[in-house]
Amino acid sequence: MSSDTIAVIGGGPGGLRAARGIAEIGGSAVLIEQREFLGGTPIAENYAGLTPHNEPAEAAMRRMAEAVTSHPAVQVRLGTQVVAAEGEAGAFTLTLRGPDGREQVGCGAIVLATGFGHFDPGRETQMYGYYEFPDVIALQDLEAMLKVHNVVRPSNGQPPERVCFVQCVGSRDRQIGNEYCSKVCCGVASKEAIEVRQLLPDSKVFIFYIDMRMYGFWESQIYWPAQEQHHVQYIKGIITEVLPTKDGRLLVRGEDTTMGRPMEVPMDLVVLSVGMEPSPGTRAMARLLGVKQDKYGFIHAPGGPLDPVSTDREGIYACGAALGPADLEDTVSSAANAALRAVAYVRSRSLSAAG
Amino acid sequence: MPLSGRKVPPRAVEKELATVASPISGREVELPAMWNRMFEPRVLTDYGPDGFAALAALPGAESLEWCYGCGKCIPVCPVDVVGEYGPRKLHRKVQTGADLLADPDLWLCTTCGNCLRVCPKQVDMIQIMPAAREAALAGGGPVPGELAEVFEKTFRYGNALGANPRRRAEWAAAAGVPVRVLARDPSPVDVLFYVEDYWSYHPRGQQAARAFARVATALGIDWAILGPEEKTIGDSQRLAGEKGLFDSLVEDVTATLAKYSFRRIVTPDPHAFNALVKEYPRRGHEFTALHYTQLLAPLAGQMTWARELDLTVTFHDPCYLGRHNGEYDAPRTLIEAIPGVRLVEMGRCRQNGYCCGGGGGGMWLDGFSREHAAERLSERRVREAAQTGAQALVVCCPYEVSRFEDAAKSTGNEHLRVLDIIELIDEAMGLRPGEAGAAGG
Repeated sequence: MSSDTIAVIGGGPGGLRAARGIAEIGGSAVLIEQREFLGGTPIAENYAGLTPHNEPAEAAMRRMAEAVTSHPAVQVRLGTQVVAAEGEAGAFTLTLRGPDGREQVGCGAIVLATGFGHFDPGRETQMYGYYEFPDVIALQDLEAMLKVHNVVRPSNGQPPERVCFVQCVGSRDRQIGNEYCSKVCCGVASKEAIEVRQLLPDSKVFIFYIDMRMYGFWESQIYWPAQEQHHVQYIKGIITEVLPTKDGRLLVRGEDTTMGRPMEVPMDLVVLSVGMEPSPGTRAMARLLGVKQDKYGFIHAPGGPLDPVSTDREGIYACGAALGPADLEDTVSSAANAALRAVAYVRSRSLSAAG
Repeated sequence: MPLSGRKVPPRAVEKELATVASPISGREVELPAMWNRMFEPRVLTDYGPDGFAALAALPGAESLEWCYGCGKCIPVCPVDVVGEYGPRKLHRKVQTGADLLADPDLWLCTTCGNCLRVCPKQVDMIQIMPAAREAALAGGGPVPGELAEVFEKTFRYGNALGANPRRRAEWAAAAGVPVRVLARDPSPVDVLFYVEDYWSYHPRGQQAARAFARVATALGIDWAILGPEEKTIGDSQRLAGEKGLFDSLVEDVTATLAKYSFRRIVTPDPHAFNALVKEYPRRGHEFTALHYTQLLAPLAGQMTWARELDLTVTFHDPCYLGRHNGEYDAPRTLIEAIPGVRLVEMGRCRQNGYCCGGGGGGMWLDGFSREHAAERLSERRVREAAQTGAQALVVCCPYEVSRFEDAAKSTGNEHLRVLDIIELIDEAMGLRPGEAGAAGG
């Protein structure tokens, strides 16, 4: 049976923006989130401040969530998963499993906002010792410490004197299979570097990089202030290995490519700038709905740059990092795009049915 | 991958000398560490903000830290063309722990400004270098002896050559035209001609000064000089780190200038011109200042020519007239006005003009710079000039005639004459006393 309702799967920044967009232009939405809370990865992974403006993630996500939960045209299902899908565009039936058991929801179109997961630096390569050395952490681990304003070495609870970021961990790597640039890590690492310098003014902070990819305004919003005002040391040349030293520190080894010389620099805390991968939810929903994925597992958008949100199945749209590496700006932009496309789709069907 | 301490990190090793036996002669040859590093590179063990912080404490020197390593400065750095230098490399040296204030690199920059022209981050060596040099001087750091001598001479005699100040106007006696000295005739004058050191004392500079005297007189310009009262403006001493000396010279110079009534200051020295239009106003002293080519270029149509010179020339843009102050056309207007002179440009001209090596104190660091570079900047420039096929390298900065004449000899380009523009004009107007032509060609 045809339906004008649009199902939005995923309650992070993309899903929240899509659901709000649908409601604001007169549609109705069901927002389905498997976690017990809205806000997605920024909340689940304890982000401190959002890149680039460093607005506290909690407040920003709460604002987005309230705009959705307060809108009468959006129903929210928390702690709920989509376990089955039937029907065709215009008349999908999703089977949901939630705290109150199973439920069937009819919808005319679907927006996938299932987001990304952080690359697991221990999975493919043990090079950096993420699971061996307590003081080797990832971007989101540092976010969690920044959120509580307490950056310490996990090994001893002491504030680190020397902190470095290693860029491109799990990105731009044919062997790992993630050939893409994850787009946000240069900006996020630089943003975190600034926060570390502010929190620990005596610390020295280093960023080892292949090339800094500060697209658009991030160049002068994040990179330049990090270097010029917060004295973050940028070093061109990536770290190949992390070794323990006798005094309990970590020795990072690599090549300084501008000097053409090897480097071995002691650190207290090594932060791996892990890239983005399709989240388990993105992979699961793609399979469940029969939507094509690209070679990396993100949702495939066959329309190219001028139609970045349509999937290969009629009536199903995707947004944000479900489609590939994306920052928040990309995510909410594509979410609004997907909302518009989904509402237009169900309306055009209603009109042709009525006509 | 070895993990958890099983691998012993390699030790940092640097050998200062490597000994290599020649397979031909059997002799053992010692190679310097530079070659050695090709075999066993020295390991970098730290980076830090401390060097930048020390520089940032000096007014004007904070921007070295801003470098993001794009490398645009290196190909246009005149010193890198003959050695290993450039702002990006200095940034990395400081980031890896070098003390710029104690490093020979501190004295190699000629402040030619070509790096700043192309730098996307506006890393400003024109401010960084004088500030760091000033700090090195104040801190008693190593200062090249030849430069220290020039500071001393400037302080004692008011000129970089250490010449007798009372003989500053002696060049004028042989000019062939009367040269008015304001101390003797203090009535108001249109052009106060600020001769500066090298046109006052250097034999080749004096020839140019006399040529200017004849040309200005022939054109009916109302002009005069300060004579023995004139002291150097000292802008290159400032850029070489002696800001205190420069400031005291500003006081002396402005006190002298205050005694006379004139409309414009005209100088042959682009460095003095630079100070008059940029540094003097900053200190509250406003003058209408012109380089002599700017005074004469609008008058080119009034020049009466006595002969055609039949000469192919190339022109060297002075850094402090061109890049620093944007004047590229006045010298060319004059050159092109001279009958029979054909101008061919060098590849590096105008905004991308190659430095002669004399700016920022380089004029007085020839021996020191030579030890740190494969050849002199002036030699590189003369070879570029010779490649154009020109018969003469034409200049309009008092530093350059002597620098390029020496370089023409040392590079085997003696056929290349080095002439100031004013000498060509003087020649073509037939003003040289006791001569009946031909010297120009």
